[in-house]
Amino acid sequence: MIKHFVDFVTVVFGVLLLTFLLIHLVPGDPVEVMLGESASVTDRTALRTDLGLDQPLAQQFGSYLTKLSQGDLGYSIHTKTPIIELIKTRYPATLKLAVLSLFIGLAIGIPLGVFAALKANHWQDFVVTIVSVRLSAMPVFWLGPLLMLLFAVWLGWFPVSGMDDSTSIVLPALTLGLGLSAILTRMTRTSLLEVLNDDFIRTARAKGLNENTVIIRHALRAALLPIITIVGLQMGSLLAGTVITETIFSWDGIGRLLVESIEKRDYPVTQACVLVVALSYVAVNLFTDVLYRLADPRVKFGA
Amino acid sequence: MKTFAISILLFWVIAVLAGYAFGLQGNHIELDAILSGPSRQHLLGADDLGRDILARILTGVQVSFFVAIIVTVITMAIGVAIGLIAGFYGGKVDRVLMKITDIFLAFPGILLAIAFAAVLGAGLSNLILALCITGWVSYARLTRGQALSLRNRQHVLAAESLGATVPRLLLKHILPLLSSILVVEATYSIASVMIAEASLSFLGLGIQAPNASWGAMLRDGVRYMLVAPHYVLVVGLSLMSLILAINLGGDYLRDKLDVRVE
Repeated sequence: MIKHFVDFVTVVFGVLLLTFLLIHLVPGDPVEVMLGESASVTDRTALRTDLGLDQPLAQQFGSYLTKLSQGDLGYSIHTKTPIIELIKTRYPATLKLAVLSLFIGLAIGIPLGVFAALKANHWQDFVVTIVSVRLSAMPVFWLGPLLMLLFAVWLGWFPVSGMDDSTSIVLPALTLGLGLSAILTRMTRTSLLEVLNDDFIRTARAKGLNENTVIIRHALRAALLPIITIVGLQMGSLLAGTVITETIFSWDGIGRLLVESIEKRDYPVTQACVLVVALSYVAVNLFTDVLYRLADPRVKFGA
Repeated sequence: MKTFAISILLFWVIAVLAGYAFGLQGNHIELDAILSGPSRQHLLGADDLGRDILARILTGVQVSFFVAIIVTVITMAIGVAIGLIAGFYGGKVDRVLMKITDIFLAFPGILLAIAFAAVLGAGLSNLILALCITGWVSYARLTRGQALSLRNRQHVLAAESLGATVPRLLLKHILPLLSSILVVEATYSIASVMIAEASLSFLGLGIQAPNASWGAMLRDGVRYMLVAPHYVLVVGLSLMSLILAINLGGDYLRDKLDVRVE
């Protein structure tokens, strides 16, 4: 447990350090890149002092951490708003998108995986496998436009982009969720097929339980363990996918904020977005780890 | 599977060569043709500046492949070196190196590559740099795990007791046993680098205008989807056909070389 916690803390520290260093990787003078060549000397000096870029690196990192602990992420160079306010307004949108995508992934992936496992090596299984293999290889910047073209432009069921309508979330959530569901389908199938050969399933059948109970209460429960891990890991590509998906569908979340900040060379905002997304991912992984340990009586925290 | 993968790859090679043979100009602007559909002059139509989409797809595929190969070679060299050292020495060296890879893995997907590309500035070389900085991690993990288990194999211990130096042990006695797993991994990685490159170009962080790249073409295609839906479709299908062919090639190699990748 303690070792686990130490691991977690070092990773978080590393993430903070790497994001902090980002701004120092700007070739040349970051202040000049941000303000443009025409900026006056006074403006440059002011920004440099503001960002603390005139101090030694270690000291800068120290004050970065101190400010962060107080919830201070600096302010946007362009709009002068505190970045924490930007994050507060944008983060819920991304969270909403990610949660709905996760739900779509689970709601489609697990039942379909169970179906494929029960029909293993029949034509139904082959169809599901082929579709899910193809779907999981589709990058969001291709799946997104396809869904947009089909459901928004041609069929007109959902808005093309934006977030004004209550159904605006459907297409971006499908873009992210379908890819996840494809991976979950394959994992559920494999995992369930492994479990179905176990002794306790034979026992359950032998004592006369009906097949549905055997599958759902016994087999699926055991098969879900590896799936939890996969979901945790896949949240990474889902979070990264939000950057592109939000851009495609003009969804005002963290991902779009990141892209906008890059276009405006508003590096403090870029830095903050990267940090927030990375920390969310670390938190998700910690959470899945705990969930796994809770779900599996064989895994002990001390181990 | 093999035939399918090879025929798609062959198709692209022939298409690129044919593009040169017919002297297709990807940057030639024809104002009358803006966003026009497929026609005799422009087999796949023209983009928002009246440039031939087919010609741009054919230049795009070369850029995409070039980046994918370079990045794969560099990341593999770095990753394998780090993985071998970590797995061979174990202990503190291993812990430190694996901690560093853990930190890189804490950034989801291509987020870190996006961040690096953003601060380094757009352009081909920075794009390659950003993908290299973030891409070595998976090779390091893979190699480290393998090296760890190969470290105490009889033939390695025998060579060591005969006085073989560490570089010799690593390169002559451990690395050759990893070659098939690395070949498979590299094949898949070409496809994933192509996707990563397209993602970054999609976000405007990759190859810069007027040079063609599939990611940037997809972005323009989305922008003009209402007027010219064929644009986004042909570019997307091109990309997917290539990704599919490479992944199938990877599957074939995996089965053929009998590699088990967890």
